[in-house]
Amino acid sequence: MHWGPLFLMRRTPRSVRTPANPQCKICRAWAAFFLVALLAGGGLFAASPAAAAESVLRVLAWPGYADADVVKAFEARFHAKVEVTLVDSDEALWDNMHAGRTPQFDVLAANTAEIQRYTQEHMLAPLDLAQIPNTRRQLPRFQALSSIDGLTAGGNVYAIPFTYSSMGLIYDRKQIAVAPTSMAELWNPRYRGKVLDFNSAQHNFSFAALALGYPDPFQLSPTQTRAIALKLIDLRRNLLTYYTLPEEATAFFIQHKVALMFGNYGTQQLEQLRRAGADVGYVIPNEGALAWLDCWAMTSAAAHRPLALAWINYMLEPDVSVLLIQRQGLANTLTPSPESNVNAHLVWIRPVADVPRREALWSRIVSGDLPETFK
Amino acid sequence: MMRPGLTFKLSLLLACIGVVASGATGFYAYHANRTMLVHEAEQNLLTSTELLGQRFSVAINDVAADAKVLAALPSSARVVQSDDGSGANDSRERLARVFGSFMANHPEYLQIRLISREHYGRELIRFDRNAQSAVRVEASGLQEKGQFPYVFDTLALPPRGIYISPITVNHEHGAHSAEGKPTLRLGTPVFAPDGSVIGVVVIDVDLASLLKVLQVDLPPGYQVYLANEWGDFLIHPDAAQTFGFDRGRRILMQDSFPATVPLFEQSKNNVLMNGLMRPNQAADHVLAFIRMPFGVADGNRFIVLGLAKPLADVLAGATLLGDSIVRMVLISSVLAFLLAIVFARALTQPLHMLAHAATHFFADHTMGALPLRRTDEIGVLARCFDRMRRDIRSQLDVLHTKQHELVHLASHDALTGLPNRMMFADRLEAAIREASAAGERLAVLFVDLDRFKQINDQYGHAVGDRVLATVARRLQAVLSEGDMVARLGGDEFIVLIKGALSSDAAPGIAISIMGSRCWSARVSVSATIRPTAPPPKRCCSMPMPPCMLPNRANTLRGCTIRTCSTRVRAARARRAPASGTARRTANRQTTRTPSASDRGSATRTPCCELAPSDGRQTVLSLTPSCAEAIQRGLRSYSRRAASTPPCVAESALR
Repeated sequence: MHWGPLFLMRRTPRSVRTPANPQCKICRAWAAFFLVALLAGGGLFAASPAAAAESVLRVLAWPGYADADVVKAFEARFHAKVEVTLVDSDEALWDNMHAGRTPQFDVLAANTAEIQRYTQEHMLAPLDLAQIPNTRRQLPRFQALSSIDGLTAGGNVYAIPFTYSSMGLIYDRKQIAVAPTSMAELWNPRYRGKVLDFNSAQHNFSFAALALGYPDPFQLSPTQTRAIALKLIDLRRNLLTYYTLPEEATAFFIQHKVALMFGNYGTQQLEQLRRAGADVGYVIPNEGALAWLDCWAMTSAAAHRPLALAWINYMLEPDVSVLLIQRQGLANTLTPSPESNVNAHLVWIRPVADVPRREALWSRIVSGDLPETFK
Repeated sequence: MMRPGLTFKLSLLLACIGVVASGATGFYAYHANRTMLVHEAEQNLLTSTELLGQRFSVAINDVAADAKVLAALPSSARVVQSDDGSGANDSRERLARVFGSFMANHPEYLQIRLISREHYGRELIRFDRNAQSAVRVEASGLQEKGQFPYVFDTLALPPRGIYISPITVNHEHGAHSAEGKPTLRLGTPVFAPDGSVIGVVVIDVDLASLLKVLQVDLPPGYQVYLANEWGDFLIHPDAAQTFGFDRGRRILMQDSFPATVPLFEQSKNNVLMNGLMRPNQAADHVLAFIRMPFGVADGNRFIVLGLAKPLADVLAGATLLGDSIVRMVLISSVLAFLLAIVFARALTQPLHMLAHAATHFFADHTMGALPLRRTDEIGVLARCFDRMRRDIRSQLDVLHTKQHELVHLASHDALTGLPNRMMFADRLEAAIREASAAGERLAVLFVDLDRFKQINDQYGHAVGDRVLATVARRLQAVLSEGDMVARLGGDEFIVLIKGALSSDAAPGIAISIMGSRCWSARVSVSATIRPTAPPPKRCCSMPMPPCMLPNRANTLRGCTIRTCSTRVRAARARRAPASGTARRTANRQTTRTPSASDRGSATRTPCCELAPSDGRQTVLSLTPSCAEAIQRGLRSYSRRAASTPPCVAESALR
């Protein structure tokens, strides 16, 4: 018995030489297959450097600004590759921008206050508006770039408005029949224990300044600061509690039947509340509401400037901008917000002069320090 | 070097089977052991986690009991009702001492406070933990706490109700050591005698010390996880991942351990995972998570508690077992290999024996080595082989026997048993070669029976056959070992005498052939082959009176030389024809009747010399006197034979 290497393949006796040896054929077929696979792999590897020769755009953005399908469409249209990094706080944005000696990104999205800081540190490049034709589709208030602090510096434009959200008042339509028109409603004893406030030093001082009618909520004199502190203590005594997370606000709103709330998350919170079963309305008070405006800017270390400008232009396309409203509940710069009128008084957030003082005071206010202790 | 024959292949196959079997068994045992150990560990870990949760609940209940004690003190209600926090108040101070002793005896309490409902939740009695000691906060240090849920939610509780707060980081300004620490707050309402709620007692508990209490008898290497209802980590082996919401970056348990999602959706009560079967879920650990009810408020309704145990600890026993399994597998593999070799050789050795026996077919010693007595297939094969061999041998023997017979029949005369003409010719040739090589002489005698035809005619062929047979026997008896007699055919015989003395012995033998009294024969001349001098050409023939003795054995007696010479003389007288045929005819004539010319004078001459043949017949060159003597003698014998009674028979032929 002659045992061949594989039982299934019968080898003919040695004395008979067959013209076509089946084992040889299969060996040759496998060798051919591997060769083809190697060539294909080599071809792919050869192709990827060619792909790497394509430009790569590094984007630093917030969740919801660069969704996967939006990015893919951009890649297809401009034959480029896009790498998106997401951050969820200003501090994280700052850390990412300062990761290396030069910024590791080409475009970033940040609010006007942060844009101002980056501009002061010379980390941003001026933008050529001629290459961003979609700016002409924006609402007039957003086309007037010089009217928005932080977008321009020294005659150059450093950022283009993209999306915004205001911090207006959210009220329970069942308890408050008529929409409140003033911020002062938060101090209304009628709503004692039915008011929610956001736990943040900057925003509280700013909107309290607005409520007191101070011209510049972001630059306050010590007297003004003290007055605002006492005002905030009054608010503390009127409200139910402070919240930090949107879920907390929704939980309190429902459980304790809150009537009025300072909506730090703006229209984004509305959706959550409505889903939880509350019949809520949103209003921007007459004194004005704080609003943050997120803009796209190009870093000074951008490798492919035309591509970066093309990205900014692409973000201002109507079908891309409308996704902000649909998916995130934010407002875009092309169409007026449904929740508020076009000419609502929005006060864009600016950097605050004296952050630590506000923080220290706020900590004491929230903890329940008595007004007598505030000098 | 082993040829890659059946032995090698079989031993390799058996060794492979042995190795594979033991390896597979070992592997399966190892794998099954690991799986069982991990399952066991999971169940134990779940039990431990549940115990841990119970201990947690017990610890919280203890704190709640303390709070209830403090709230139920009659002086608490009194102080709350009467005091506004400012100014001196003895009852308040006395109550404060009670609070102080509680603080002293519970190092895990960060704060104990008595808070009034009035004045926006004004604190009345407050003790803060400051490093290791407790400090009393008084007067302007007391704050309004009405904006905190642990006040307004507690105020809404019924008597002896407990408020359990979400676990958060304490950011209250002025809280001494409590500031910045993860804190759990427990509150209970203080009721006035009339049943209205007037204040609360709140105890702040340090989560770290609570955790220490929980971990007091956990073995080292165990890790604790705790998350709130939304999944934010509150306790994590890596402290940087706790309270992410406090820093603005939420780190959720559902993201770190996706398998725990059903827990948060409240579809399962516990979740087990291990790094052996699902390494992507739980790398190198065995994990157990349970959901425990906690507070009442949304976002605080339950907590998720988890325990993690390193997989290496769980599988330590399995590793030991694995080592010993590997050793056993190696040993049994070696054993299997050796046994395989032994068995393969044992199996193929009988085959070798059979092959050897087949090649040495006719050697008897190989048959003895065959395994004939085995009861298995190899024994059957050996026995069949043996039978086959025997059959072949017997057939070959039969064949050889028949072959011998055939040869014998082909070369011998059937009637007399003498060699026939062909065989004689072969022998003669051989003898001539030998004699020429050795330089010896040969003698050939022709013996022709006289008047044989008359016997045949008178007595029949059967008698004639018997006469021929008898003559053949007699001839054989006369001759010695080296000589040969053959029957030429009919009644003619021929004798070959070999040897150095053949020329001398030939006449003697001829005479002895003729010497039998009872038969007459004619011995025709024979010739020797002598390599050197040609002998004198003489020929004579002598008639041979016929012998008429049926059924009698004749004795041939050797006649003497003298007689031979007499007879030779007699023959010489008759010598007339010189040619062979005429001679022969003359012989025949003379056999019939003795003629007068046969008489002649006898001379004493030496006997004959054998002369080479003249082509047809080798003749004995006898001297004339010798020939005559022989002739006379033969005649006298024949006369005597006619008148004398039958010869004496000999019982046995020589």
